[in-house]
Amino acid sequence: MSTLYDEIQEVRALYPVSRSATLPALRLAQERYGWLSEEAFREVAKALDETPAYCMAVASFYDMYHLKPVGRHLVEVCTNIPCALVGAQQVLEAFESELGVRAGETTEDGEVTLRTVECAGGCGWGTVVAVDHRYRERLTAGDVPAIVEGIRSEAGNAS
Amino acid sequence: MSATETETATVTVDGREVQVPRGTGLVETAAAAGIEIPVFCYEPRLGPAVGACRMCLVEVEGVPKLQAGCTLTAQDGMVVRTAQSSAKAAEGQNATLEFILVNHPLDCPVCDKGGECPLQDLTFKYGPGQTRMTFPKRTFDKPIPISPAIALDRERCILCYRCTRFSSDVAEDGQLVARNRGAQSLITTFEDESYRAPFSGNVIELCPVGALTSTQYRFEARPWEIQNVPTVCGLCPVGCNISATTREGKVKRILSRNHPEVDQGWLCDKGRFAFPHLYAEDRIVDPLERERRRGFGERSWDDALDLAEALLRGAQGRIVTALSGSETLEQAYALGKLLRQGLGAHSAVLAEATSSALDAFRAPLSSIADAEIVVVVGEDEVADRAPIVELWIKQARRNGAEVVRLAEPKLGEELEQRVSSSERAILIWSGRGGGGGARLAELGHRLGLDEKPGCAAFHLPATPNGRGVTEAWAAAADGEEENPEPIGLLIVSGDEAASDPAVRALAEDAEHVLAITMFHGLAVGWADLVLPGTSYLERDGSFFNLEGRVQRLRRTVIPPVPDELAWIAKLAERFGVELSPHASVVFSELSEKLYGGMSYGEVGERASLPDRATYTAPTPAPVAPIPPAEAPPGDHFLGTLKLRRYRPLFSGSAVERVAELQFQRPEPVIELAAADAERRQIASGEIVSVRSNGTSVQLRASISRLLAAGTARIAEEHAADLHRDIEVVKP
Amino acid sequence: MPAEQFLVLAGAEGGRLLTKLADYRAVGGFEALAKARTMEPAQVVQEILDSGLRGRGGAFFPTGRKASFLAQGTGKPTYLVVNADESEPGTFKDREIMFTVPHRLIEGCLITAHAIGSDRVFIYIRGEYLHEFEVIKAALEEVHGANLLGGVTIVLHRGAGAYICGEETALLESLEGKRGQPRTKPPFPAVAGLYASPSLINNVETIATVPKILELGAKEYAKIGVPPDSSGTRVFSLSGNVVNGGNYELPMGVTLRELIYDVGGGIPNGRELKAVIPGGSSVPVLTARQIDVPLDAGSMAEAGSMLGSGAIVVIDDRCCMVQLGLRVAQFYMHESCGKCTPCREGTRWMVQILESIEAGTASEGDLDLLLDVCDRILGKCLCPLGDAAAMPVASYIDKFRAEFRDHLDGGCPMQGESSLENVLAPVDQHTHDPVAEVPA
Repeated sequence: MSTLYDEIQEVRALYPVSRSATLPALRLAQERYGWLSEEAFREVAKALDETPAYCMAVASFYDMYHLKPVGRHLVEVCTNIPCALVGAQQVLEAFESELGVRAGETTEDGEVTLRTVECAGGCGWGTVVAVDHRYRERLTAGDVPAIVEGIRSEAGNAS
Repeated sequence: MSATETETATVTVDGREVQVPRGTGLVETAAAAGIEIPVFCYEPRLGPAVGACRMCLVEVEGVPKLQAGCTLTAQDGMVVRTAQSSAKAAEGQNATLEFILVNHPLDCPVCDKGGECPLQDLTFKYGPGQTRMTFPKRTFDKPIPISPAIALDRERCILCYRCTRFSSDVAEDGQLVARNRGAQSLITTFEDESYRAPFSGNVIELCPVGALTSTQYRFEARPWEIQNVPTVCGLCPVGCNISATTREGKVKRILSRNHPEVDQGWLCDKGRFAFPHLYAEDRIVDPLERERRRGFGERSWDDALDLAEALLRGAQGRIVTALSGSETLEQAYALGKLLRQGLGAHSAVLAEATSSALDAFRAPLSSIADAEIVVVVGEDEVADRAPIVELWIKQARRNGAEVVRLAEPKLGEELEQRVSSSERAILIWSGRGGGGGARLAELGHRLGLDEKPGCAAFHLPATPNGRGVTEAWAAAADGEEENPEPIGLLIVSGDEAASDPAVRALAEDAEHVLAITMFHGLAVGWADLVLPGTSYLERDGSFFNLEGRVQRLRRTVIPPVPDELAWIAKLAERFGVELSPHASVVFSELSEKLYGGMSYGEVGERASLPDRATYTAPTPAPVAPIPPAEAPPGDHFLGTLKLRRYRPLFSGSAVERVAELQFQRPEPVIELAAADAERRQIASGEIVSVRSNGTSVQLRASISRLLAAGTARIAEEHAADLHRDIEVVKP
Repeated sequence: MPAEQFLVLAGAEGGRLLTKLADYRAVGGFEALAKARTMEPAQVVQEILDSGLRGRGGAFFPTGRKASFLAQGTGKPTYLVVNADESEPGTFKDREIMFTVPHRLIEGCLITAHAIGSDRVFIYIRGEYLHEFEVIKAALEEVHGANLLGGVTIVLHRGAGAYICGEETALLESLEGKRGQPRTKPPFPAVAGLYASPSLINNVETIATVPKILELGAKEYAKIGVPPDSSGTRVFSLSGNVVNGGNYELPMGVTLRELIYDVGGGIPNGRELKAVIPGGSSVPVLTARQIDVPLDAGSMAEAGSMLGSGAIVVIDDRCCMVQLGLRVAQFYMHESCGKCTPCREGTRWMVQILESIEAGTASEGDLDLLLDVCDRILGKCLCPLGDAAAMPVASYIDKFRAEFRDHLDGGCPMQGESSLENVLAPVDQHTHDPVAEVPA
C-alpha cells in the first residue's frame, strides 16, 4: 500500500503550483484516518512543504474536513430552504430518534455521525440526505428507519 | 524605469486636485492632497491591498458602488470623494465601524492599546456614537498567550488579517493563521503551540487594535506617561531604527522606527524583546575587584579608577585590548586614544576581520528587494547574523528574484555568468572566513558588480559594530602593533569579548585582566578588576552598520552606572590624554578622520548612506582565508570533524537574561553534512555523542545541506569546552 | 404548455443518461469540437460573442466578452477554469448536466480552450458532488482514450464544502490550495487569475452550451429565448412546494406561472402559492401576484428581482416569512468567508435580530434596524455574498411587513404550523470551534 506521503506527491504533480494540492491532500489524509488529527496535519504538512498551521487553517475553512473524530458512517441531512419546505426537519428528527443522537453527534458505538448540511444541490428532489456522500433523494421521515437499518447492517457486516 | 511608471495622474479628491505618479495608491494619493482615507487592513508592506476591512470606502465618479479606496490606484482624471465630501462614503465608513464594533468588547479602559489605538481614533472620527447591538457578543477565552512574548485577545480582534498576512507573506513562517470561517474566524497558531519565529513581534505593531499585545508591556504604561526615544538597535550589524518607549526612566518596550532603506519598519524578536536585560538581576552596578576569599569585593568608582590606573601603569605598555565589536565608535575611539596615545599600547584583539574594499559595492539593504538574482554564500543562516536581511531576501524572492545559497564562494561558471550579466545582482556573505568582506569584494569586482548601480555586495559581520570599532580604534592614534609576551594587562572590552573562549585563553596567560562587562557571570572570578558596562540602549554614540551607514544611538534611559565614555575620559586625564566625556565631541574628532567631518546633525534621525567608493583591491590580502574544504576523511569510520561554532540569533548575554525569549533559544543540536551523517549512520533527529579533548556532550543531530563534508556546526552555547576537532558517534 | 427545448441537455430527454462516449457521439457529440478546431480561435470567440450567451452561474455576464478580456502576450499560460461549485440554494442544474451529459461539458471545455489558446483546464467541482465527480472522471478517461483532448490537460479538482468558492476569485484561491476567500478586483481574473495568469472562469451550464452554439451557429442560437439580452435556453431548477420538482431546459422568457403550474404541476396538497424565489436564495422574493413575469433578465429586473442561477423555489402558504428570512440569513452567516467586515459581522447580526423577531421579543424598531443592517451591508462588501444575504431578507420585510409585524407581539402567528418551524441550520449545530456566549 502506498504511503500518504507518496499519494500526496502524485497529486502535487498535477498542478503547476504544488500548493494547489492542499485540498486533495487533506482529503487523502481524511480518507485514511477518518478525520484530521494533529498528527494528520503534521503528516500532510510535511508532504506538502507547508506548515501544520497552514494546513489546519485551510481545513478549518471547509465543511467537509473533520477536525474532530466522526463515526465510520456519516449521515448528512440538507436543511436548507428547498428541502426544509418539504419536510427536511422531520427527516432529521426521524434520524435523531432512530439513531438516538442529536444532530452534530455520533452514536455511542462510534458508527454513525449525524449532522445537518447546507444545500446539497438536489433541491427539486428533496429531502436530500447524503449517506457516506452518496445522495438519497425525495426522502420523507418514513424512509428513515430502513436507511438506518441499512447503515447498521452494513456496519454489522463490516465488523 | 519605464515611461508608464513615471506618467503623472491628476486626481481630484474631495475637490482638491493632486498630481501623483500614475499607479500611486489612492490612500497615498489622498494623503498627498492632505486628505485621510482611514484604513485598518491596508498596509503596503504586507503586499497588495486586500480590501478586507472596508474602512476605506470612497465614492469614485462613474462607479455606482462605494469602492475600497485602498485597492485603487491613481488614474488620470479620477474623481474621488471621501467621507469628508460624500455622505454616501461617510455612511459607508460609519457602517463599517458599526459592524466592527458590534462584537468588540469596548474595554478600552483596560486595554494596552488605549490611547494609541487606530480603532479608537477612527471610531471617534468616523464612527457611531452609540451602539445598537443588544444581543450577546462573541466571546472567547482571553488573553491567550500565542507565545511567551505575545498575548492574543480574540474579542478585540477585528479580523483585519494583518498579522496572518505578515506571517505568511512577509516572514513566511506560516505559523500565525486564521482558523474557521465567517463570524467564527479566529487567529491562532497550530494546536496552541507558541508562535516561534524570528520576527513574530512585528504582529504586535501591525495590529490596529488591542488584540495582539506585548506581554512585556502589559499594563506597564499609558501613552500619556511615556516618552519614545529614537535610537538604533545595537544587537546586530543591521542597526534597525527603533524607538525605545520609556516610563519613569525605564525602558518598557521597543518599537520599530521605519527606515525604508534599512529595516522597512520590521524588527527581529531579539531587537524587540531583549531590552529587559537592562534590569537583569546579575547586572554589575559597582566596580568589582578580585579578592582571595570572597572572590570579589565592591569598590567605589574613585578606588576603581585608582586601581585601573595602577593596572595600566603596572603593565608598562605590555597591554592587549580585546574588543567586542559592540562598542560605540566613540567608545572604541576613546579607549584607543587612552591606551594608544596615553600608554603606547597599540595591541588589540579585534572582534573580527574587516575590509573597506566593500565600499565600492555600497547600496541600501532595500536594493536587495529589487534584485533579480541573490547569491548567499556561507554556512551561517542569514537570520543568525543579520535578521532583517533575511526579510529583504524573502521579499526579493517574492518579487521574482532567484535566490541561490552556497556554502562556499564557488559560484561556478554558469552562475558567475548570470551574475555578471545581470543589472540587479546581489552577493551576500553569511559565514566565516570572508576577510571581513575582502573576499566578497574581490569576487564582486571580478564579476563587475561595482560598475553597476543596481548590483551590490553585503558582508554580514558577526558583531554589531565590528568594522566601526576597528576603524575607530585605528584612527585613535598611530603606532605599530606589537605582541607583548607575556601580556602584562589584558583589557576585555565588553560582554562578547568576555565570553569568547580565545579571549579567555589569553586571560589565562596574562598577568592581569581588566574587564568591562554588564553581567556578573562573564568576567567576575577571573578579572582582577571589573568595571560595569552599559547597554546600547544607555549610550550616546554611533554605530557603523553593515551597509556602511553611520547611525546614531541615543541614551534612552540613564544607566545605573557611569557610561564608558565618562570614566575613560577621567582615566585619560590621568595619562595626559585630552578626551571629552561627551559623545558628540568625540564623534566630531573621529569623524574628521573617518567620515569627512560629518556631525551628529548630519547623521540625523534616519541616516543616509554615503556614496560608493572606487574599488581598491583589499590590502593586506584577506587575513583569514577560508580554509579549503578538507577531503572527506575516507573510510575512517570515526574520523574527526572540524567544529564550526556559531552564534544563533537567539543567543548572547542579553537574550539569556530575558524570560520572554527563553522559548526562542536554540535546541542543543549538532549540524552534520549529509555525507558525514551517512557514514556514521546517523539520522536526523537522533541523539549523538560529541567528544573532544576529554569532554563530551549529547546533542541532537540535524542534517544540513549547506555544510561541507568534514565539518559540523554547533551553537556557541552548546559547544561549551569542545575543541576544534570533534568526534561524533552514536552513544 | 411551454415545450422543453433540449440544447444543453440534448440527448438526455426523458431522463436518459448520456454518460458513454459512444452514446454521446451518436447524437452528434464532439462534432462541434471538430468544427471549432478547423476555425481560428478568434472566430470561435466571435461565435460565442454573437450568440449572445451570458454566464449561467448567476451573474449573467456576456461570455464572449469575458473571453475577449483575457490578457494577451503576458508570457504566462492562459487557463480555463470551469466553475462546477454549484451551491446556491435551490440550484441543482449543473449537477444534472454533469451526471447526464458529462461529455458535453468536456466538449465545451475543449472548444473554449481552443478559443482562448489554453492547454490547461481546471474543473472545480463541488466536494459534495461525489457521484458527478466519478461520472466526469470516467468520461474524461474515455475522451482521453479516444484522443480527443488535443494536447489539452483537464484537471478535475474537488472542493471541500464552502459555498463561497462558487465566487470566482474565491474559487481561484481554493484551487490554489488556500482558504477560499474572495480577492479584491482589480486585478480581474482575465488579467491575473489562477497563479496570477490570465484566466477565464465559466459556469458548467455556460460551457456546456458552447457546443450547441457551434453546432447551430451563433445566429440561430441567438434567436432562441428573448434576444438580444436573454438569448438561449436555461436549465431551470424547480424546487420547494411544487408537484414536479426537477430541472427543465426551456427558452428564456417562459413565465414563472407556466413553469410552476404547467411544467411543475402546481402546488401540492391543495395549498396556496405564497411567494417565489426566482433565481436562487440570494435574490429578492416575488409574491404570488408577480408570477406572470417572464423569466428573462429584463423582465426580472423590472419585477425587482433577478434570474440568478435560474433556481425557482416555490413557497406555499404554510411558510413563515420570518423563518424564511432567518433560515436564509443563517445560511449566509454560515457561508460568509470572514474576510470583509460587513458580511462577517452583518450576517451574524441579522441572524440575531431575526431570531428575536421570531421569538417575539423584538420591537417595531428592530424591523427598521434589520432593514438598516441590510442596507449597511448592501453594496459595501468585498464580494457579492453580503448582498446575497441582505437583498432577499430586505425583500421579505418589504413585501411581507405585516407578517413580520405580527411576530412582534408574542412570536410566530403560525403557532408552530409553519413548514420552516424549528429547522436546524448547520450554523447552530456544526462549527469547528464552538464559541461560548455570555450576555452582552
